[in-house]
Order: sequence, then C-alpha cells, then structure tokens
Amino acid sequence: MIVLKEGNLRIPKWSRKVFAVAGGLTNYKKFCPEMKLEEQVMASFRQMLEDNDLKLSPVEVKGLINFLACGNFSDHFQDQLLCEAKVTDYLGLDPMYDIGIKTGGATGGSTVLAAAMAIASGYADVALAVGWERMSEVDTRTGNYYIANAACKDFETRLSRIYAAYYAPMAVRFSWAYNLSEETRAKVAVKNHLYAYYSPYSQQPGKYAIQDILNSPMSTYPLRFLECCAMSDGAACMLLCDEKTAYKLTDKPCELFIAGGSHTLRVADRRDMEIPLLPNETPSMYQGLRKKEGQRWPGFESFAAARFAAYFAYQMAGITNPLEELDLVELHDAFTISDIQTYGDIGLRPYGQEPDYIESGDAYFGGKCPSNLSGGLIGTMHAVGATGIFQGVECLWQIQGNYDRFHGDPKIWKSFGKEKPRDWESLQVPNANQALWVSHAGVGSHVTVGILRKAF
Amino acid sequence: MASRDNTIKYTGKPAKVLQREPALVIEWPRSLAHRHTYGKLSPFFKGLTEGKLLATRCVNPECGEDRLWLPPRADCPDCNQPMAWEELPQPAIGTVHTYARVEYTGTGMELATPYFQIDVELPGVCTIFKGYLVYGTPKIGMKVKACFRTEEPTNTILDIYWIPIEDEVDVNC
Repeated sequence: MIVLKEGNLRIPKWSRKVFAVAGGLTNYKKFCPEMKLEEQVMASFRQMLEDNDLKLSPVEVKGLINFLACGNFSDHFQDQLLCEAKVTDYLGLDPMYDIGIKTGGATGGSTVLAAAMAIASGYADVALAVGWERMSEVDTRTGNYYIANAACKDFETRLSRIYAAYYAPMAVRFSWAYNLSEETRAKVAVKNHLYAYYSPYSQQPGKYAIQDILNSPMSTYPLRFLECCAMSDGAACMLLCDEKTAYKLTDKPCELFIAGGSHTLRVADRRDMEIPLLPNETPSMYQGLRKKEGQRWPGFESFAAARFAAYFAYQMAGITNPLEELDLVELHDAFTISDIQTYGDIGLRPYGQEPDYIESGDAYFGGKCPSNLSGGLIGTMHAVGATGIFQGVECLWQIQGNYDRFHGDPKIWKSFGKEKPRDWESLQVPNANQALWVSHAGVGSHVTVGILRKAF
Repeated sequence: MASRDNTIKYTGKPAKVLQREPALVIEWPRSLAHRHTYGKLSPFFKGLTEGKLLATRCVNPECGEDRLWLPPRADCPDCNQPMAWEELPQPAIGTVHTYARVEYTGTGMELATPYFQIDVELPGVCTIFKGYLVYGTPKIGMKVKACFRTEEPTNTILDIYWIPIEDEVDVNC
C-alpha cells in the first residue's frame, strides 16, 4: 500500500507569481502535408505574437524570451530526434535554451508546468511553452500501435496494441461500480463534437444525436469510435511571464497555478489506498464507496494522478469549492469514460456520483461549470504534445473574453479553408474569472491540473 | 586534375512519391528489430513456456506489503529490497475484475479480432493481472483458470491465457 508522508504531501509553492498572457493554435487536421512540424509551430507562434493584443511588437516580445519548454510526446511520430532544436531555430529564438518535455498525453500540461517553474524560480522573466505532434507520419493503425507502446511493453502492449483497449476495461468496471449508462457516456461525445462545431480549429466537429454515437462502429467494446479522441497534426503555444512583465505585455493577464501527479503505468498494479481528500470533501463521504466486492481506490474507476494534481493545484490556488469557484473546465476527454472518471478526481462531484455532472446540466454551456467548450480531444484535436497547451490557451481566451475573437472571426475559418457555419454560436462564458484544465497521460500515469485566474 | 574513375555511387532506392500536391510527400521506410531483455523477469517468461505461473513476494520482514506481485517485479517498490520468486499452485483460478472486447487494433496484433481482454484478480496477489480469454464471454466476478502455451510458445505474455471454468471438462486444459 502506498502510504504518503508529510514531505510527499507538501503543497508546491512558486517563489514568485506566474502569469499567462497570450496563446496560439493551429488548424488541427488528421493529415497536414502542406506544412512541416516547425512550420505548424510557426503558425501558432505567429497567432500568439500577433493576435493577442500584446503591447509590444512580435520582435520586441521575442527579445524578452529566454527559455523554452518544448513538448512532444513521441519520437516515433516526429521521426526526428531533437526536433526541439529545429523548432527553436525556426522560431528565431536561438540560442535560448529549450528543454524537451515528454509525459505522454500530459506532455502539454507538463510543458506549461516546466515553463512556469522557469518563471517562478527566476530563471526567466518570459518563457515560451510550445508543443506539437505529427501523428500522420504513419497510417492510423500504426499510429495506434505507436501509442500502445505507452502501455507496459512486457505485460500489456501485446494484449491490445490500441489505447481504447486500455480504457474500455475501465468503462466496464466503472459502469458496474457506479451505475454509469451508455447514454451518459454518449452525451459527453454529443456535447464535445457539438462544441467543436463552433471552433475553426476543430478536426471532428459534428451535430450528433445520442443514438448516432451509440450506432457508430465499435473500437473496443464498450467504446465506440465517436467516443474516442482525434489523432491530429498540429501545434500550440502559450506565453508565460513574471508579474511585472505580464502587465507590461498585456492589459489582460491571468495568474497561473499548475501541479502534477503520477501513478504506475499499469492500471492493474494500482493497489487500494487512502483517498486524499479535496478541501470540499470529508472522510464520511467515502465510507460506503468500496461497497462492491474487489473494489479498490483508485482501481479501474479513478485516477490517483489526477486526484493528486487537483489536491496540489487547489491548495496552491486557494480553491476550496471547485464547482462553485471555477467558471469553466477543459478536461482531457481522450475517451468519454476518462472524461467522466475525472469529474470525481477533481471534485466536480464526489466519487461514485460522476455521471450527475453531465445529467444535472452543470457540464453544459450555460450550466454551473461548463466543460470542454473548445470541443476537447473528442471534437477538436489531440496532437499530443500540443494538447495540454491548447486546453490552457482556450481557458485563457475565455477569461480574457476573447472566445468570439478567436472562434467567430470568419477570416480565421477562411484561412483554414473552412466556412464559418451560418448557425455559429458564441460559447463565451460571461464574466469568466477562473478556469481549470486537466492534461492527462497513459491510463492516468501522469496528470497535471492547471488553474488560470483573471488578474485584471 | 581530379580523376572521375571513383565517383560516388548512389546505392539506395529512390523514395516512393505518395503525393505531389499540395506538397511533396514521400515514403520513408522503417524496418527495425530491437533487442528487448526481460532482465530479472526472465524466470517469469521462461516459466510460462513450462506451464508455470511465477509471482514475486517481498521477503523483507519490515516491509508492509507481504502479498504477491503479478505481474512480478524483481524489486519491491515499497521498501526497495529484492523480492523472491514463488510459483502459484495449479490450477490457478482467478476472478474477472473487468474486461473489454477488442474489435479494432493497431498494427502487428497477434490475436484475431474480436477477442476478450480480461483483468484477473488472484487470491493473495496485491495487483490485478491482464490477459485474454481464449473462448467464452466474460463477466465481472466470473471464475477463470490459467492455461499456458507450452507447445510452440511465443516467448511473450501471450503464452498465458484464460478459460472459463463453468464446466468441469475445462479444468484440465
């Protein structure tokens, strides 16, 4: 049994405040032959420098950057070792130091964490968090095999060679333990494909009914293809600063808190342990949780890495009631089931009551704490190294009140060869003050929880 | 004057062009074999080929974890001391903790789809063990028995598989 001691539970503390000021994305696509990876990174970097109302010119901003955290998940996909050096050179940031970050699906979140550490420690006043992935380098089945190398090679990979098959057992077990219906899972897919419909960046937009999701082809039972994330080519970047520089660069900075948790790669190795409680939870809440035979926490139902990341991040940010204090969240919906599992880990609902976050309407635009207004990974993108940065940028733009500017401008749609839908709707959350995003790897092996707070 | 007798020859194979518009895309072949060691877990994989299921146990009396580990580990993560091998008694009967029916898989899959992947609880084992059900339909709580591919082994984790034990006839596989 894992027993945590005082030092393990020490709350991370920045030595000085960290702020996010600007972000940039790309048109996420299944296959993007028209641009190489560094060219895609350039597209997101340009959007970040040119379209975020920064008060200094792009060249002046570049002159302030002295550290890059570069996220990319897999050398298999890029088929180019040390592409960080190519990217830094291509962006014209040589000879600033860049560190490559690799934590699977949580790479984007870890990249933001690494850049934030550079600011908080004083290594840099301005740091760039940038991430990318080129998943089209191989065909889809080979891509799925590559990703399955992020399961245990000795004991798991040969048993599936596709990641859906590592989440499907969690879906079966969660449904059995906590009464989750297929319809609730399908609602997550319907919601996120729909929100992607309003985003020019999205790869898998669609207006689906619950039945369309349930009728779509099966990947690994019980998960259908329309419940699975995209495999994308694309990039994203976010600019982080210290307090003084943040206000010099923008009138709309957001304070950043971010922390992470890890857990063994093999879900089946996750022994029962005590649940670390979030500020809004009490021990009595979970007395009856393990009522069925063989139940354990986190087991196949939950993610200890996500719980720990939230445990640290909430205390860093002083959040005591997530559902009340967060205005929106961006969750790592690699699969409908992993999205739902996370509701308990980050305290949007107590463990065992996760489906209610969807069924109550809280998760929808207009609800108490809408999730994945960006379209998420199911609707918009999963260019792995970029994903956790993309999610953070969408949160930043929401708090800055810039959803419409970055999603509703017909020129952006046109520049991607798309037409803005006639029935486009704004998903701008009114007066968004605080947002959270979850970046998640493996079957919960690495998770970061980031929180952005309005500072203007 | 430089001699042209020894000009450098191109010995490769021209890259196949996959598409020319909107950008030139070529095929970049990759055919590689890695040397993968089972290291200190070698007894486990060798054991499968001999019809044995080997687990490890921490023998440090001061360690709080005294249950078996399967998948085995050579070293205990709780106290970081080396563990000892222990063979599970046969027949090894477990309980299905959860399962999935794999219908679409990635390149190189060695089991014909669809098939059932199962996660098995075993008595006295602190972890759960992933495998596949060679026939039948799993449900949570179902009893299953370990069987081994001792003839023409794959030398991989696929050398262990599980069968339902509803009927007596299956107990001696």
